[in-house]
Amino acid sequence: MADVLRIEDLHKSFKLGFIPKKKKILKGISLSVEQGEIFGYLGPNGAGKTTTIKCILGLIHHEKGKIEIFGHPHLSLQAKEKIGFLPENPYFYDYLTASEFLHFYSQLFLMEKKEKEEKIKDLLELVGLEKAGDLQLRKFSRGMLQRVGLAQSLLNDPSLVLLDEPLGGLDPLGRKELRDIIVRLKEEGKTIFLSSHILQDIEMICDRVAIIVSGEIISQGTLHELISEKILFTEVILSGFEEKELEGLGESFSVKGGKTLLRVLKEENLEKILKLVKSKRGKIHALTPRTETLEDLFVEVVKQR
Amino acid sequence: MKIKAIALNTFKEAIRDRILYLLLFFAAVCIIFSRILALLTVGDRVKIIKDVGLTSLSLFGALMAILMGVGLVYKEIDKKTLYTLLVKPIHRYQFLLGKYFGLVLTLFIMLSLMSLIFLAVIFFHTFRVEWQILLAILYIFLELCLITSVALLFSCFSTPILSSLFSLSFYLIGHVSWGLETLIKKLRPGTGKTLAQLLYHFVPDLENFNFKMEIVHKLPIPPKIFLFSTLYGIFYTLFVLTLAVLIFRKRDFI
Amino acid sequence: MALKLETDTISRKKIHGSSIIYVPSGKYLKYATFGCSSLLADLVYLWAIQYYSDESITDRFQHLDHIFSIISELDPRYSDPYDVGALIAAYEAGDLGLSLKILDKGLENIPDQWFFPYTAGHYAQFIKKDPALAQEYYKKAMAIKGAPDVIRRLYADAIFKAMDYERALQTWLEIFETAKEDRIKKIASNHIYQVKAAMDIQNIKQAIEKFKKRFGHLPMDLSQLLKAGFLNTLPKDLDGKDYLYDSQTGEVKMPTIPWKR
Repeated sequence: MADVLRIEDLHKSFKLGFIPKKKKILKGISLSVEQGEIFGYLGPNGAGKTTTIKCILGLIHHEKGKIEIFGHPHLSLQAKEKIGFLPENPYFYDYLTASEFLHFYSQLFLMEKKEKEEKIKDLLELVGLEKAGDLQLRKFSRGMLQRVGLAQSLLNDPSLVLLDEPLGGLDPLGRKELRDIIVRLKEEGKTIFLSSHILQDIEMICDRVAIIVSGEIISQGTLHELISEKILFTEVILSGFEEKELEGLGESFSVKGGKTLLRVLKEENLEKILKLVKSKRGKIHALTPRTETLEDLFVEVVKQR
Repeated sequence: MKIKAIALNTFKEAIRDRILYLLLFFAAVCIIFSRILALLTVGDRVKIIKDVGLTSLSLFGALMAILMGVGLVYKEIDKKTLYTLLVKPIHRYQFLLGKYFGLVLTLFIMLSLMSLIFLAVIFFHTFRVEWQILLAILYIFLELCLITSVALLFSCFSTPILSSLFSLSFYLIGHVSWGLETLIKKLRPGTGKTLAQLLYHFVPDLENFNFKMEIVHKLPIPPKIFLFSTLYGIFYTLFVLTLAVLIFRKRDFI
Repeated sequence: MALKLETDTISRKKIHGSSIIYVPSGKYLKYATFGCSSLLADLVYLWAIQYYSDESITDRFQHLDHIFSIISELDPRYSDPYDVGALIAAYEAGDLGLSLKILDKGLENIPDQWFFPYTAGHYAQFIKKDPALAQEYYKKAMAIKGAPDVIRRLYADAIFKAMDYERALQTWLEIFETAKEDRIKKIASNHIYQVKAAMDIQNIKQAIEKFKKRFGHLPMDLSQLLKAGFLNTLPKDLDGKDYLYDSQTGEVKMPTIPWKR
């Protein structure tokens, strides 16, 4: 499958401080994003996620390396026609209304007038802002700005959408809605590249991820490849037992309101507990096998650096 | 055209800036005040009105150009409204030119308003409309276009306060330029002289656009100077805009 | 409110004329004007008018030259200050030399303004009482396009007052010839009468002097001068009348007042 986005050996340093000291931010990033997938770009704060995205978009000039979008050089107009971008903490012209704003941006794509009108209407509906079309942007809440930002990134029906921390600052409902939209975009055939550090959401929707730490990619691949499916431990919530009775079977996590949370590592211990409960007429409230999550992987990988 | 879209957007934004109206108010006050001032003179009264009027237009126009120009690009970078714009399929120079023309359009409207007030005051005084004044105003407008381009240039890499200072100095030096010429002849060779010479060559002679004296006294203006001034203005402006584009292109938006 | 009125009435001790220190000096001023030198000229002029109207500033004429030269440097073609400056210099400061200097400068900068040499001639004639100087000025004024005809007549009159009767007569004749209105013709002819009379009287008087020298006494009447050969003909005035002679004093007078003809 053709690579939608391909980065090879990307380097970038900045001169910071009053007496300019060169600080290397990207130390040779290479990654590729395939057609039709949702690609997650993860890393701790300051790792270089936003810098990478800005290099891709041409907002920052990279020092070394190659970036190609749909096979075109990343700064070419052909490439730009096919991408959409939503920055972190988007901010737009205050005094324009949502419709006016989208209108203005659409003028930069040289779309037909009728096409524009329809598109704007559809987009506003998609992001859930159809009622706020005539409201000035300065009256928008953070979440609303995020949505209108998403709308503008989709104006040209891009094949590649880049989202920089799109889920940050949204309430759980907002996050769910956004996740749904992203999945819907994937179904329409678009490729999504999103950076985030809210790992639960990434885990839910991404196909492949890359983890960047201190300017280097230390892990890249499908979630499937990176996270083993073996069960790490089982969490059991039970009641009707005292602590000493459960000793040795696992690590007691917490005791609350008569319920004990136990983390059972070994398979045979689990069997013992089940037998115990049955015999003593205790109660099992929950039994949850925990596989490795992305968070686990992430923490481990970052700690290693 | 994409430049047009950005220009119109810039215009819409600029026209909402209260500074413009404040300066317009002051210009109007000056012009109307000149009417009163004219009563104090012995002799030709219209001259005072014309002098104050043209100077006000020039000065307040320049202030408008500078104060709005230095924020043009800086605000966009600072507020990050620039990001989503630049990733669209436009060249950076289109963005810059769009901002420039948007501001020029705003200045045109403001200058026209001030001119109307000015001509009205003269009309009420002499019951005549003096069309030659429009010629002087046209050249003031050309000068403003040049100053705007300079302010825009500074806006690409400097903060508003510094940019305003630089642009203002530029304006002042530009008007003293012909005096620099005489000064250079009088100075002994040394750092002072070389500095003066540098200034003289780089900073444009804004007096080329100053036809106030001639218009007020109804002196004939040799037609050649119209052509040369206009060309000079256009070329210098293009030069500054090119510089601005070059600088803007290289810029990283962290 | 009351406080405000109080403070208003406490007249603050004003140093009259202290504003003069703000008027800058000299030739470098025009470099500092940033393109609005015309406006600055206006402002200095307005200030000057106020300054010179304030009679309590007793030494205000000290810088008159300086101030008006600044105005002319800033805006050489601003004509009002030349007039007013010269006026102040002539009538209030009593410095006619300065007055004429200002007007000269005015003419130099605005060569088509006939009013300057006209006024200068006026001052020369009536204040300085120097008809020769007045002549020069009137001549300059006449040469400028648009100068009114009356200047020519003033010129002729100045020549007469300078006692150059030949030229005066000539000039008046020219005026008479070229006069388009009857009124002017009348004026010209009156002046011609006057000049002729002056010339004639001068001749007669010279003859009387010679007579007196020879005979030791004044002649009884003018015909005696003829007989004695001191005059060839007995001049008559323009209308053909005889001149009046008073044998007691030796005075010769015109029989008619020229303007009552």
